[in-house]
Amino acid sequence: MNLMPQSLSKYYRLFVLSWQNGLVYRTSLLIWRLRQLLSTLMALTIWSVIFTDQSSAFSYTRSEMISYVFLVSILQSLILASSLHSLAGDIYNGNISQQLLKPQNLFMHFSALEVADKLRNVFFSLIEGAALYALFMPTIIWPSLQTWFVFIIWAILGTVIHFFITIIFGSIGFWSPETWGPKFLFFMILDFTAGKLYPLDILPRAVQQVLLITPFPYLSYVQIQLFLGRLTSTQMAWGWISLLIWTVITWLVAQWVWTKGTKGYEANGL
Amino acid sequence: MRSRLNTYFKVWWLTAANAAQSAFINRWSNALFMLGKILRLIMMLVFLFLLKDRQLSIAGYSSDQVVLFFLTYQIIDVTAQIFYRGVYVFSQKIRTGEFDFYLLRPISALFRALTGQPDLNDALFLVLFLPVMVAVVWQLDVHITLPSLLGYLVLLLNSFMIVTALHIAVLTIGVLTTEVDNIIWMYRDLIRLGQFPVTMYWAPIRFVLFFVVPIGLMITIPAQVLLNVPPSVNLGLATLLGIGSVIISLQAWHWALKQYSSASS
Repeated sequence: MNLMPQSLSKYYRLFVLSWQNGLVYRTSLLIWRLRQLLSTLMALTIWSVIFTDQSSAFSYTRSEMISYVFLVSILQSLILASSLHSLAGDIYNGNISQQLLKPQNLFMHFSALEVADKLRNVFFSLIEGAALYALFMPTIIWPSLQTWFVFIIWAILGTVIHFFITIIFGSIGFWSPETWGPKFLFFMILDFTAGKLYPLDILPRAVQQVLLITPFPYLSYVQIQLFLGRLTSTQMAWGWISLLIWTVITWLVAQWVWTKGTKGYEANGL
Repeated sequence: MRSRLNTYFKVWWLTAANAAQSAFINRWSNALFMLGKILRLIMMLVFLFLLKDRQLSIAGYSSDQVVLFFLTYQIIDVTAQIFYRGVYVFSQKIRTGEFDFYLLRPISALFRALTGQPDLNDALFLVLFLPVMVAVVWQLDVHITLPSLLGYLVLLLNSFMIVTALHIAVLTIGVLTTEVDNIIWMYRDLIRLGQFPVTMYWAPIRFVLFFVVPIGLMITIPAQVLLNVPPSVNLGLATLLGIGSVIISLQAWHWALKQYSSASS
């Protein structure tokens, strides 16, 4: 018996197809995961060798820093993994036309693809995490159940913010095929604000304060700080406010850009 | 011989001029790309100087010494991207059949495939980066002598040979399988491990990085020589492996061409 409402079953089918599609090119998937593993391996090695003759550095203990690297690799598989990197190209080339003509909500369509991609990445990053755990044998810090709960909500909010940012970048395709420049800059900024190599709070305080008013730290950094128990109650409150504000802002901007783009969209001769 | 070299230079120059014109069409994208690269460089240097500030060392190297490993990585990676960007679009050339036309022309198909799309962005980045590098090195507390500098420059040539061999190997895989994208990005991630001395990695990984995908020979050994630190691999062996890798990759390329049967048609 199918208990799923008719309106949702098509998105579930899309999710299943996207999941299966991601497993078709197994060598590509394997190399992609291996690439992710290499960056985690580099960060783990650096901090392990730094902590061989130090008990703490940058106000982090060895366990905290190693936990940070482990968490960031898993969390980025959830928050930053995306199947929509080619969205701008699909729009500019007119490939999006067939999706626009179907009786579906396109945001739901994208969401189904994204969820499948993220779950696949999280699944593999957990396996890699287990392999790295066996190799480095770190002491991972585990928070309370209550913190776990907040952490999961914050991770979901971070995922939603990144989804809307991806839609905003993809929407550039309505006007120009050149999206790789802004995307590259975005990922470079993300690389040090939520990066695997080092946490944001080792940077000078002024840089941290500027970055905390941007959406970047809310795409991994604050979630991990919460997990490691490094946030005061005031910082937690600011975390909630900032995450909610950035979710609303990115949602409004994504809606606005998408609507503006589709209104002027033409795809002759396809 | 000289006129042949002139021909190759003219072809390369024409390709570079076309790539430059193409880059100028997308000025904003290129400007943001450049900004991203500069930002990445600055943030990595900031990280290394923060290590210095806390007097932290990595695998027995001071943070000042680690800066030199990182700068060596930058030189090799950026130079390879300037000249060998063609590799990144090679699978497309195979799939569309454009590579077949390379084979028909009176110029090496390998040369066209390898140097097909010089990267103006990276060339500009290198021009900006070199003075910054000199300024950074100037204020580092490292022991560099004239012989060590000369040895470094010679070993950089060896590194460039290895980089060339690795790019030819990627093209060879492309000819055989039409798949290049994943392999070249895998190489980029592997070379990134060389931002730090590869001696810090776990022994099996260290072995791979010295002798299988010789990132260590390309980056760690020249930097060790520059710092007057005993190299992890004998210099004669490193040079032999550099020359050997080019010979083997060329042999593999010629063998792969014999197997090629035009993927597109």
